[in-house]
Amino acid sequence: MLKIDNLHVRVGEAEILKGLSLSVPTGEVHAVMGPNGAGKSTLSYTLAGRSGYEVTDGTAQLLGDDLLALNASERAAKGVFLSFQYPLEIPGVPALTFVRAALNAQRKARGEGEISAPEFLKKAKAEAANLKMDFEMLRRGLNVGFSGGEKKRMEIFQMAMLAPRLAILDETDSGLDIDALKIVSEGVNALRAADRSMLVITHYQRLLDHIRPDRVHVLAAGRIVASGGPELALELERDGYDKYGKAA
Amino acid sequence: MAADVETLATVEALAGEKYAHGFVTDIEQEFSEKGLNPDVIRFISAKKAEPDWLLAWRLEAYARWLALDEPDWAKISYPPIDYQALYYYAAPKEKVGPKSLDEVDPDLLETYKKLGIPLKEQEILAGVEGASRYAVDAVFDSVSVVTTFKAELAKAGVIFCPLSEAVREHPDLVRAYLGTVVPTSDNYFACLNSAVFSEGSFVYVPPGVRCPMELSTYFRINASSTGQFERTLIIADKGAYVSYLEGCTAPMRDENQLHAAVVELVALEDAEIKYSTVQNWYPGDAEGRGGIYNFVTKRADCRGDRSKVSWTQVETGSAITWKYPSCILRGADSVGEFYSIAITNNRQQADTGTKMIHLGPGSRSRIIAKGISAGRSTSTYRGLVSVHPKAKGARNFTQCDSLLIGKDCAAHTVPYVEARNGSAKLEHEATTTRLSEDQLFYAMQRGLSQEEAVQLLVNGFVKDVLQELPMEFAVEAQKLVAVSLEGSVG
Amino acid sequence: MLAEALRSGDRTKLPGRRHEGWRWTDLFGALTTVPPLNPERQALGSWSVPIALDGVVVRRFAAPIQGGVEHVTLEVPAGDHRVVLDLIEAGQGRYVRDLAFDFTLGVGASLERLVMIADDADAVSVATTHVQMQARCDFAQTVLASGARRQRVETHVDHPGGAGRVRLDGAYLLAGARHADQTTVVRHLGRDGESRQLVRGVVAGAARGVFQGRIEVLQGADGTDARLAHNGLILSDRAEIDSKPELEIYADDVACAHGNTIGALDEDALFYAMSRGLPEAEARRLLITAFVGEVAERIRHPGLRDQALIFLAAQAEAFDGEGR
Ligand SMILES: Nc1ncnc2c1ncn2[C@@H]1O[C@H](COP(=O)(O)OP(=O)(O)OP(=O)(O)O)[C@@H](O)[C@H]1O
Ligand SMILES: [Mg+2]
Repeated sequence: MLKIDNLHVRVGEAEILKGLSLSVPTGEVHAVMGPNGAGKSTLSYTLAGRSGYEVTDGTAQLLGDDLLALNASERAAKGVFLSFQYPLEIPGVPALTFVRAALNAQRKARGEGEISAPEFLKKAKAEAANLKMDFEMLRRGLNVGFSGGEKKRMEIFQMAMLAPRLAILDETDSGLDIDALKIVSEGVNALRAADRSMLVITHYQRLLDHIRPDRVHVLAAGRIVASGGPELALELERDGYDKYGKAA
Repeated sequence: MAADVETLATVEALAGEKYAHGFVTDIEQEFSEKGLNPDVIRFISAKKAEPDWLLAWRLEAYARWLALDEPDWAKISYPPIDYQALYYYAAPKEKVGPKSLDEVDPDLLETYKKLGIPLKEQEILAGVEGASRYAVDAVFDSVSVVTTFKAELAKAGVIFCPLSEAVREHPDLVRAYLGTVVPTSDNYFACLNSAVFSEGSFVYVPPGVRCPMELSTYFRINASSTGQFERTLIIADKGAYVSYLEGCTAPMRDENQLHAAVVELVALEDAEIKYSTVQNWYPGDAEGRGGIYNFVTKRADCRGDRSKVSWTQVETGSAITWKYPSCILRGADSVGEFYSIAITNNRQQADTGTKMIHLGPGSRSRIIAKGISAGRSTSTYRGLVSVHPKAKGARNFTQCDSLLIGKDCAAHTVPYVEARNGSAKLEHEATTTRLSEDQLFYAMQRGLSQEEAVQLLVNGFVKDVLQELPMEFAVEAQKLVAVSLEGSVG
Repeated sequence: MLAEALRSGDRTKLPGRRHEGWRWTDLFGALTTVPPLNPERQALGSWSVPIALDGVVVRRFAAPIQGGVEHVTLEVPAGDHRVVLDLIEAGQGRYVRDLAFDFTLGVGASLERLVMIADDADAVSVATTHVQMQARCDFAQTVLASGARRQRVETHVDHPGGAGRVRLDGAYLLAGARHADQTTVVRHLGRDGESRQLVRGVVAGAARGVFQGRIEVLQGADGTDARLAHNGLILSDRAEIDSKPELEIYADDVACAHGNTIGALDEDALFYAMSRGLPEAEARRLLITAFVGEVAERIRHPGLRDQALIFLAAQAEAFDGEGR
């Protein structure tokens, strides 16, 4: 699904990613862990196509297509979804309006027809119920006045509605209380599928108790410095990142 | 909510469409002689078969106008207007006065059909299910072509007719109110209008009556080298309610055309008037050639206690817009509202805002103004909130936001606030920002194209105002917003 | 404009209602004749401020006896830091004065300035400051005004951007029939400039406070972050506050905002203070002092800040019995 090779990314003056390589086969869920400032969000923004993240070397492909040649919305239409570490507030635009517009735009880009209003509403209601979200929240300005946890839930709601091929979850667990963590994890697990891959960025093992990853990678100082099975997360939880400190 | 989604759907349909109302109706017309002098005023007055008092009133206004200077304080610039190079009266060649729809020139009916204005009552009745009906006064250059639903309105006691007809049929009412809100010599353009006004609508809603449908006047400038000087007078008697909408369009021409209207609203005790404008005069082309010079004086007198006037405007057209719909809050606990969207693109210039004059105790006002500038345009909010010593406990809330799209446009905010008593409470907030790149990216990450993302964010920006419009017009206005900003990003 | 009128003796040169920027400060209407220029000054000493303040340049300006015009310049060399206290002192009678200040700041220079202006209730007094800044300059100013028959403190700052910062604050406490006008114009000429303004005023009796603040952002001055707030309290039904915060923006990548509120003293806060045992007059004074005190709190130099707080507290005292 996702194949990143020797990726170098510069933000402003600084090189943040320094030759990062990573592959996520179709249908797998991979976790990325790493110390603060390691470049995890930089990786997710780069994959999603945020401007200001300058790729100076390397490649990133989605199902064999060059991702880096596309702009943000083209990547989304290809199926890239990023759950933001800090979701934006957009006053005056209700979440429902926003998601429906996004969904139809993606469908159009893929040459599919628009979703009908009743069908959309039905789906939105069902997904909101799954995530135990108050449907009325979806009628308010997107994320305006929402708590940190509510914003994260809203991200997962959007992911469910947009049904991406590759979901990148950047610290979706931070800010969630214990119950919310469970609900959100269930939501994510429900979206696991043979034709969908996920990249789960987190600081905490406990999320991985809920979302069992196929592989765990350690990102430190701009590169993947170690990879392993789920047991690697437990090891990190216990020993910290010390032994990877000088890896770069 | 539905409207937002709707817009996104319609933006596609609208792509490539620029100014959709720019056609000319080829019809034989009658003009006054070119230029302005007392004889032209007599000619207009005679055409309308006016009583002597009104002719005298016009001539006095003309004399005063000669002594006034054109105002120069607004942030707009334009070459000097040659007032002698205009026609002050133009009308389709037919007899003046009301008529049944069957008698109206088919070319005119076709024109209004093309503009999407329903003039046949049965067509409106057979229209979209659930859509509320509304009565239309259709003004073509200097005369009213037809007014619909008059009979049904009359049953409720509501008078809705061209002003010229009201002068003949209801002279006492007209005489009692005309010029009492905007005095003849109020300002240069109002004074000119008083001398030469040719058509407009008259509305009277009797005590305790809730007008059974939306009223609207559709102004169309057609003839070239012709100014439009309409005058509208709306009176809501004690406890009455009326919602009125004004729409306007003009052909695309290389010349600038002058539009100097006056609107007077009077709300007596417990009365409420809701006045909405969708202003879509021809804005000129991308290089700033042509377009309407729109100099308008609109004022409401909230004369009675607990009276309320609400102005809502969507200003997308005109090369120059100069207008400040205002409320004189004379009655105790009277309420004034102003909701505005002003969009300028290309070389358009808009200097618009409101005045809320608090005279009565407990009077309240609310101002929400949203300006969007794109291209090489300039948009200025200019407002006054004035609280007089007797207006104890007066309240005002003002929110002015400007959005800039592009490097070559400008946005200004000039609010005057005068507080003259110790129990008033006034709040004013203003922001100027550009379209947020973060928000754009966020929307694009979820798959919207840049154009769509801009539409979406702009809709969010103007939403507070759009929802003040009557439902039927909100959708229309939203499409206009989309079209006005076309080509502003990319 | 006032200086020109004083120099020429020509009353028609006085600014007044005809001039957009002077609509609420009508000098033409206030002066039926222009007094002759007279270089003599009234005695200093009306001020009770201790003059020895650590690291602060204190400048005292005496009132003229008739008409007086003064021009003062100050240059802060590149990289230098200065703290200045300008005491514009009161005289007696119907004097008319025009004070003009020109400040030039070198690259990376910083200047913190406190202006305390006192005038006779019959005086007409205008102090205008023009500030030229270079890159990475820091200019911070606080103006505390007590009014006159007509009093205006006007400040113009040309802000080159370049990570420079400007703070223009002010407070006015006016009683009797006093008038005070604080007018500011900040022009952002280059990229990435920041400016902040907080002006708070309280008027009692038949006093009149005027605030005009214009933020201009010229084309190319992207990244500008400019904010301005004016808050006024009116304590009497004969008092008045007129204000005009203005934004004039010719660049698109900006964040500019202004806020303007005018109202009475917060009744809830008054009640809260009184419920804890403060008598009404004291509670009022407390709230008024806190309200304008926030302006003083923004002053960085501790000695200067203390002087500002003392000045404001003394003025708040003067409102006693006149609040309603
Ligand atoms: N716009 C920017 N300009 C310069 N440096 C930046 C910018 N954005 C991020 N950085 C730097 O890049 C490095 C990586 O940041 P990033 O946000 O990717 O870290 P992270 O691994 O997601 O950390 P966290 O665990 O805190 O989320 C940090 O040192 C950060 O300060
Ligand atoms: Mg991060």
